[in-house]
Amino acid sequence: MNEYDDKWEERINALLDGELEADDAELLKAEATDDRELARAIVDAYQLQQAMDALRVERAPASLTKKLQAIPRQHRSKPGFSLFNFAQPRWAAALAAIPLVVIAVSLMRPDTPSAAEIAQARQEMAIAFAYLDKAGVITGREIESTVGRTMANAVTDSVNRTIQSQSLNFKENEA
Amino acid sequence: MKHAWINKVVIGFFCTLLAWPAMAQEDELKDLPGYVNFGDLSATYGEPKITINLGGTMLNFVGMMSKSESPETSEMISKLKGIRVQIYGLDENIDAARSQFSQVKGDLKSNGWEPIVQVNEDDEQVLVYMKAEGGNMEGMTVMVVDNEEAVFVNIIGQLNPEELGRVMESFDVDVDVDLD
Repeated sequence: MNEYDDKWEERINALLDGELEADDAELLKAEATDDRELARAIVDAYQLQQAMDALRVERAPASLTKKLQAIPRQHRSKPGFSLFNFAQPRWAAALAAIPLVVIAVSLMRPDTPSAAEIAQARQEMAIAFAYLDKAGVITGREIESTVGRTMANAVTDSVNRTIQSQSLNFKENEA
Repeated sequence: MKHAWINKVVIGFFCTLLAWPAMAQEDELKDLPGYVNFGDLSATYGEPKITINLGGTMLNFVGMMSKSESPETSEMISKLKGIRVQIYGLDENIDAARSQFSQVKGDLKSNGWEPIVQVNEDDEQVLVYMKAEGGNMEGMTVMVVDNEEAVFVNIIGQLNPEELGRVMESFDVDVDVDLD
């Protein structure tokens, strides 16, 4: 829309709204007689105005009206604390996290392990020893397949004695 | 969208909190002469399928609890300062595990550890090293790499293999370890 169209629009709207001075209205009508485009613009604007006037205002459903009316109240109550606020998903998530924090903090206190933690440690110790045992079985099997059972037992006993001697040293040093 | 980063921060925070006890026990052991750094294979194989870090404090409690049931077990545990286990499940690629095995072996040698038993087969490598200082046993390390898993065990303190066999029975814990 150019400047010329804007000027038309203002005058046409003023004409249809009855706000145009009588002289100006006569002038516009005279112009429209010579200008087919201006005449068509006035007719179109008039038809649009008639169509708009014919529209009925639909009433909103009661439920929607209530919800819309409640919005300002909800905004007013936001800064304060209420049970409704604590029911919000983020508050619910934060409250649900509290037991997790308590468990985590209790786990951070190795000086007071619970019976369950000690049982768990015992289980873990058994797993560690089982893998030590596994290594012993593998090495024993390899030695046996290479040098025979008698020799394997001799080697194993020797290894045990070597390790045990360290243990004995430890006891002597303690005494 | 706005809360996505907050969720990540919260999850990260709780993961750190939960991992704290294990990390604390690991730190407690690092300065001991029997401690061995096994490195980290998680970049290749993902997180270890078993990770155990038992420090001296927890072992003391386990020892005390075992005293009434088995004084021998309690006695054995009292000599331990720490137990660490890392077990990775291996996929087709076992090269990274073997490379780590060799690297740790080199570190052990250079840090005064003595080889006790070593098996070098194509499909299985086993190594048992022991460290003694001033006539005292400070630790034992066992590493096993086969086609299925890489096992790294570090016992810090004193452990008598003969006692271990007897004590295992007293644990009465069902542990499934594949020997094949």
